[in-house]
Amino acid sequence: MMRRTANIILLLMAVLFCYGLQISKPHYGDLIGPIPARGKLGDTVVGRAFEVHAEKVEFARKLKVDQFGQQKVLTTGGVWAVVSVDFAARSESTVVSTASWRGPAGLTYDQTERLSFMNGLLPVAIDPGLPRKARLIFEVRPDETSNATLLVSEKLVAALDSQAEIALGPVAVGADGLPAGTVDTLDMLQSP
Amino acid sequence: MTAEALDQEHKSGERKWRRRSLWSLVLLIPLALAVESYDSVRTLLRNNDLFPRRVAWGQSAHFAGSDWKLTNLRGAFGMSNLPPDSVPVLADFQVKIGNSDLQKLWLGCKVMLIDKDGRRWSPTSIVSLKTPDNIGNCVSAIFSGARTGDTLNLRETFLVPKEATKSIWPAIGVASERPHFLLFQLEKD
Amino acid sequence: MLEGARSRLKAWAVAGIGTAVAIAVAGVLGAFGARHEPLPVLAPASQIDTGEWLLRPLKAYVTAGKYTYGMPLKPGGKALVLEVEMTNRTAKSTKDYFDVLQASPATVDPATKPFIVLTRDSTMSPELHPGMPERMAYVWQLPNGAAAPASFDLTVIRKTYKPRDNLYGLPGWFNPMPAGTLTLPIGAGPDSTDIQP
Repeated sequence: MMRRTANIILLLMAVLFCYGLQISKPHYGDLIGPIPARGKLGDTVVGRAFEVHAEKVEFARKLKVDQFGQQKVLTTGGVWAVVSVDFAARSESTVVSTASWRGPAGLTYDQTERLSFMNGLLPVAIDPGLPRKARLIFEVRPDETSNATLLVSEKLVAALDSQAEIALGPVAVGADGLPAGTVDTLDMLQSP
Repeated sequence: MTAEALDQEHKSGERKWRRRSLWSLVLLIPLALAVESYDSVRTLLRNNDLFPRRVAWGQSAHFAGSDWKLTNLRGAFGMSNLPPDSVPVLADFQVKIGNSDLQKLWLGCKVMLIDKDGRRWSPTSIVSLKTPDNIGNCVSAIFSGARTGDTLNLRETFLVPKEATKSIWPAIGVASERPHFLLFQLEKD
Repeated sequence: MLEGARSRLKAWAVAGIGTAVAIAVAGVLGAFGARHEPLPVLAPASQIDTGEWLLRPLKAYVTAGKYTYGMPLKPGGKALVLEVEMTNRTAKSTKDYFDVLQASPATVDPATKPFIVLTRDSTMSPELHPGMPERMAYVWQLPNGAAAPASFDLTVIRKTYKPRDNLYGLPGWFNPMPAGTLTLPIGAGPDSTDIQP
């Protein structure tokens, strides 16, 4: 009798242990995910192959751009967010290809594809010893602008490679629901 | 034989096998690790230029079925519209084709500059200098249809910071020769 | 000996019955799955939830203009344009909208893939961002010499979210399934008014 009770208890413990292993085990997607290199606005964040320094964030209702010699004004359903960054390669020439804006609710906004004709956007090739300026342009919902995180990585799928995660800090909201300091039109013709 | 003695013998035999099994683990675990990691190690070696083979100035080296020679390395000073303190560097090679199956042998061809600290520069797209028609680059050469015995002139353009120009060497790697790559010494070395 | 044979028989019987029950249950479930339910008919003036997207059809028209949202048409060709408001319901920017709307083969040659354009600035199939409704235009080239129909049918395709796919263990939207059909009137031209909810 004692022996049987002991066996049952042992079995239950084994089941519990296995369940614990199952729920605490990281999933494959987490194991091969990007490796974060964290920092905040103004820091130089150092990844495996590149360094990135985000200087400032500007918000605008409209962007003035030059498309094949023609001036255009681009509107958006949310608000334009323009981040000015400096990139530097570490020991090898490389290409930084992707940037996203992760809002406080976890919504992830990839760099806009509506400006693919413009210079100084990703992908940017960088060489060791020759830092380069670039601009990252996003269309975001106004309520996803405060306490957002900028994610920058070399490849689209940054599996097992560095991803810079730059905390952009709080942004005050103006009376119109847009971030305070949102300009009406941001002129992208001036170099960053 | 009594039952007790039989049982005793059984037990000692079991113990002997258990010990053998435990000792065999010493061999089996490293073996299993080696088999498991074989593919990863192979990929690592095949995809990286790790071990340089030095080529003296003016000499040519047999690599990926052809004979490679560095003919010139120079900076193109005085260009405008470049990032501050940067210099375009041109590397010229002469290749005498041996095995003409370039699409297989030269696949993944990568020309680079390496400095004394191990920093590596890939060809740039920022500077585009006009090159004569008879000069190609590594990738265009693969599809040039060159035959055995032909001589190809290749040129690659790099953008390098001024401070690094004093100590850079050109290097060439191709998938078929990795992890080995050619590292060309200069006249001054 | 006899005892052993009997217990073996018992074991066989239990295993056999279990298998038979399993096969029967699977068969019944399969029969339920294979039963063709008529597709629900969706109201044109409604918000349609496809899992990934929230769709609101705005208007459909046939145009012979040389450029429709920057897309060049073949000379003499006509195009069927469907303007629809799309909202990305997911947490990530995506352009997984190429198969969401399928025009009926009666109107459009099934081999014709539509151009999908952001009407705001005629960008060709950009990523749409979470929670931001955008007006998109699906432009199907019509067969040469086809008369403009008075209305056309669409099938709306929905997908199912999986937190982890079976190959990479990453989240994604899978298993496209028809969610319903939709009949839209074809308006006079680009200036016709939007369908009001």
